[in-house]
Amino acid sequence: MRRHLYHLVLWLVALVFFAPILWIVLSSFKTADQILAVPPIFFFRPTLANYANLFARADFLHAFLNSLILSVAAVVIAVAVSFLAAFAFSRFRPAGTNFLMFLLLSIRMLPGSAAVLPVYLMYVAFGWKDAFGGMILFYAMFSIPFSVWILKGFIDGVSQRFDETGLVNGASWLGIIARLIFPQVFPGVVAALIFNFIFVWNEFLFDYIIGGIRTSNIPVLLASGLYSNGGVDWTFISALTSIYIVPPILVVYVFQRYLLVGMTFGTVRGEV
Amino acid sequence: MPSDAPAIAAAPPRRLGGFAAFLGRRETLPLLLLTPVLLFFIVWNVIPTLWLLGLGFYRFSLTSGRPPIFSGLYNYVSILNDAGVWFDLSRTFVFVFLVVGIETGLGLLLGLLFWNSYDLPGRRIALTMLFSPMVVTPVASGTFWRLIYDPTFGVLNSAIRAFGFQPVSFLQEASTAFGAVLAVDVWMWTPFMVLMTLAALGSVPKAELEAAEVDRLPWHQRLRLVVLHHGKFILMLGVLLRTIDAFKTMDLIYDMTYGGPGSATELVAMTLYRRAFEAFNMGWSSALAVILLLISIAFTATFIFVLHSRERREAAA
Amino acid sequence: MSENGSDIGAAPESAAPQAPRLTRRSLVRGTAALGAASLACPRYVFSQAERNHPLAGKSIHMSILGVAGWLPSSLSVDMSPEFARYAKDKHGYDVSFSFAGAPFGALFQKGATSFATRSQEYNIMISDSQWLGALATPHWIVKLNDIIAKNPELNVQWFAPVTRAAYQVYPDGTDNLWGFPQVGDTIGIFVRKDMLEAPGEAEAFQKRYNQKLPMSWEDWEALDFEHWRNVIEFFNRPDKGYHGIAMQYSREYDACSCPVMSFMRSKGGDIWNPKTGQVQGIYDTPVNAQALEQYKSMLKYNPPGALNYFIAEVVDAFTQGKVFAAWQWVATGATMIPKDLAGKVMVVPPPGFRDQSGKLNRNYIIGGQPWVINAFNDREHMQVAIDFMKWWYLPETSHEYLKRGGMPCDKATLTAAGFDDLYPWNRTYKYMLQRSSDFWHDPRYSEMLSVQQEAFTGYMSGQVKDPMHALQYIACKQQGILYDEGVAEKAASGSCAGIVL
Repeated sequence: MRRHLYHLVLWLVALVFFAPILWIVLSSFKTADQILAVPPIFFFRPTLANYANLFARADFLHAFLNSLILSVAAVVIAVAVSFLAAFAFSRFRPAGTNFLMFLLLSIRMLPGSAAVLPVYLMYVAFGWKDAFGGMILFYAMFSIPFSVWILKGFIDGVSQRFDETGLVNGASWLGIIARLIFPQVFPGVVAALIFNFIFVWNEFLFDYIIGGIRTSNIPVLLASGLYSNGGVDWTFISALTSIYIVPPILVVYVFQRYLLVGMTFGTVRGEV
Repeated sequence: MPSDAPAIAAAPPRRLGGFAAFLGRRETLPLLLLTPVLLFFIVWNVIPTLWLLGLGFYRFSLTSGRPPIFSGLYNYVSILNDAGVWFDLSRTFVFVFLVVGIETGLGLLLGLLFWNSYDLPGRRIALTMLFSPMVVTPVASGTFWRLIYDPTFGVLNSAIRAFGFQPVSFLQEASTAFGAVLAVDVWMWTPFMVLMTLAALGSVPKAELEAAEVDRLPWHQRLRLVVLHHGKFILMLGVLLRTIDAFKTMDLIYDMTYGGPGSATELVAMTLYRRAFEAFNMGWSSALAVILLLISIAFTATFIFVLHSRERREAAA
Repeated sequence: MSENGSDIGAAPESAAPQAPRLTRRSLVRGTAALGAASLACPRYVFSQAERNHPLAGKSIHMSILGVAGWLPSSLSVDMSPEFARYAKDKHGYDVSFSFAGAPFGALFQKGATSFATRSQEYNIMISDSQWLGALATPHWIVKLNDIIAKNPELNVQWFAPVTRAAYQVYPDGTDNLWGFPQVGDTIGIFVRKDMLEAPGEAEAFQKRYNQKLPMSWEDWEALDFEHWRNVIEFFNRPDKGYHGIAMQYSREYDACSCPVMSFMRSKGGDIWNPKTGQVQGIYDTPVNAQALEQYKSMLKYNPPGALNYFIAEVVDAFTQGKVFAAWQWVATGATMIPKDLAGKVMVVPPPGFRDQSGKLNRNYIIGGQPWVINAFNDREHMQVAIDFMKWWYLPETSHEYLKRGGMPCDKATLTAAGFDDLYPWNRTYKYMLQRSSDFWHDPRYSEMLSVQQEAFTGYMSGQVKDPMHALQYIACKQQGILYDEGVAEKAASGSCAGIVL
């Protein structure tokens, strides 16, 4: 009995934290008047009109594709180059490793507006604004510190005896990296991929400043689509939000064991 | 690729010779591996940062149509003399202090509550629900919290009215706006501290817990002597990461209050955004960005120090 | 011009009798039947000779940046296929459009971050009038004097002089033209006529205030602020579920600034001396402090949450029946009066302020936006932009725009017979156009505005108690900004050192 009560309390806590999100999702199935109804409506006949309207918008599909392209491309590039660098940092400890790792991290710790300001000025000078290349590479840069930190931690955890055995058996370093190390740190790669993906997926400010018509993503569409001609466009916002938060929440569900690694830059390992 | 490289991998770094010789030697490999990241680092960090440092000494507005004018320390002096910026900065620190404090306290509490939950039916779903707030797009949650808080249409005020109280304009009154934004941040990030607490608890050896059980230690001593002793490092990292993140808070403010009413919720990231991308006063903004960069470096240095202190301890052990 | 001018009058005259009840949709339907010629068949029939256009046979894509969620901007979007047809028929080239938008508070930033890269991302932009200085000074937009000289049809005769001053000229008082009016706009008060005319109200009002309850447009026009406030107070009935008025108090963009500055100037106060750049001593005056207090005094007749009200929130409050009246830009008229409110709303001038002689003054802030053209456009896009402007000022385009709920500025349209009665807000628009003017066109506009918004909303929300202190803070900061820029002759005075809100 006490156990049941305990479980009930736990579920209630989880529900309290989830309630605002649930409210967004519920709202997306309401009409505009139902969303603004006083007192709020909890039971209603759901409508799919908001979603139909959303998918009918050209800018939605465009921005959704952009979100997808930007986050996938940036994250794959970032994790690939970070893996190589993390390997070098871990195995060869070149001079200045600690300092470089430190600098990489402090960039990631900078408030977004301070980080994007000099990059914007640079893009103004070079004409790189609103170009997929410029956006992807910048997002990749922003994902690198995180990936290097996570992957270095994982590679540190792989015994150097593997390398030695490989070398003795005549494997090249590339072969060692690809065939011996990579499979062992695969969980770290996954953690780096998904957490950078969530970051770029949710990112608003950079895309807003150095992106443009061609490259604007869903958060930017959300911020600029707040108003329709008749007022705040709640149906649009709720439907768009409900769709957009599915991937991150799925990630939390599917990759729950990587959550801790991801959220702490790989400095804390373990499961919950 | 030198396949005949020496077997001992972690050799100390050596001084490099001429370029040709250098290419043929085993030092090439780490450099080759590092090249892409270094390229990224130089193009997207070193150059922009130099740019930032330089522009901080110029008076330059994008909309003035004039080239930058060298002005020495003018921007820095003007920031030092701008009481508004100092208020924004101190407001930011108050914000950081409060959210990290509350989130840590609440996180510890909930973490302890969830400690023993391995047989919870649907645990994975429950935890997903609990952890969701921190992965939802901040622009989206900010917007929706605006509706939840709304005094006329909001669900929160409906509840308040149902209990017979007057509705509150949470985000619009100077007295409540700061607290309302703070509450949303707590909602978003308490789950993170729960996560860290669970990790910290997981790092406690079972044997010691059982020993404490046998010794019949009172619960507060158990917590202090056993749990905190082993978990404090992870908790410390959690607090530091949250501190750094809270210092960056911007998307949420941008969407919920835009720094208002007055300057009640103006955090320093927002101040910089406003001066840089609303007013386009690039010289001044660069100077402020440099100051923020220094603060971030200080935070990061603390973080690394704590991290390494464990490594040193482990090495000593 | 005149021939088409009468053409514009034709449809409204027929529509006039039922005008007060017209919604946008029913009007379009109605006039579609009446003026079928203007809609159904292409009116652009031209001789072959006119096809010697440099772009003939080409296919061009144009990108426009406008205000997101703002009816006048989206009307242009809706109408762009008409231009494509026009360009094909008259000049023989194909043109397609794409549109980007940002809310008022973010639009300049979106345009400027793009223009600064010398990009053609946006070929044409709908800019707010106060940004002309910031866009023109770095030469991001095209100076139009030569273009207008070469294309006399772009030299349009405006109804009110403010049109040119607000939407075209920078710096103030010169002949340098940078913008083409896209929409004219003024403040109007949207009043629920059905509540006003409910039986017994006039008598009850008379009894309570010993004043007449304003019923007609002329009654409202004659109102001074105190009398007007009584009317709002009278209809403020939170216990019945509605409030007196919805006004704009938000921190966002210029929401709180426009009405407060309107109060200030109508009361004889001023915000600066444009010649010397002096702010201190002109801005921080008792009369301006009183204006600030008066604006705050209206807050208690607003629904809770009004401190967050900008244009869209006022639309929501009014159309959801939460208020008796609304302080709103008339260009939102078509969305302020949806079908279920048709015939129940009248739009009247905002209150006047009496000077010492007892004369009623109104000097309100003007709204509205100009088109501006990207200076980095290549020749082809520049040509299309000019063709687009020529098309925009064709009488039939103005006519169509007006019909859809837009607000043209040209004299021919505004003086055409039937204009006043076509929509409930038209008369007030015309009246207020002659009593409105713009504020700073300075390149540092957004900084000046940001300081002011911070202090105004600080005062409105109770963060700042003393209105005079809020004004002194603004004056100090703005003086500093203008001196820094080299516009003001004097630096901020010593008392400004370390001033905080």
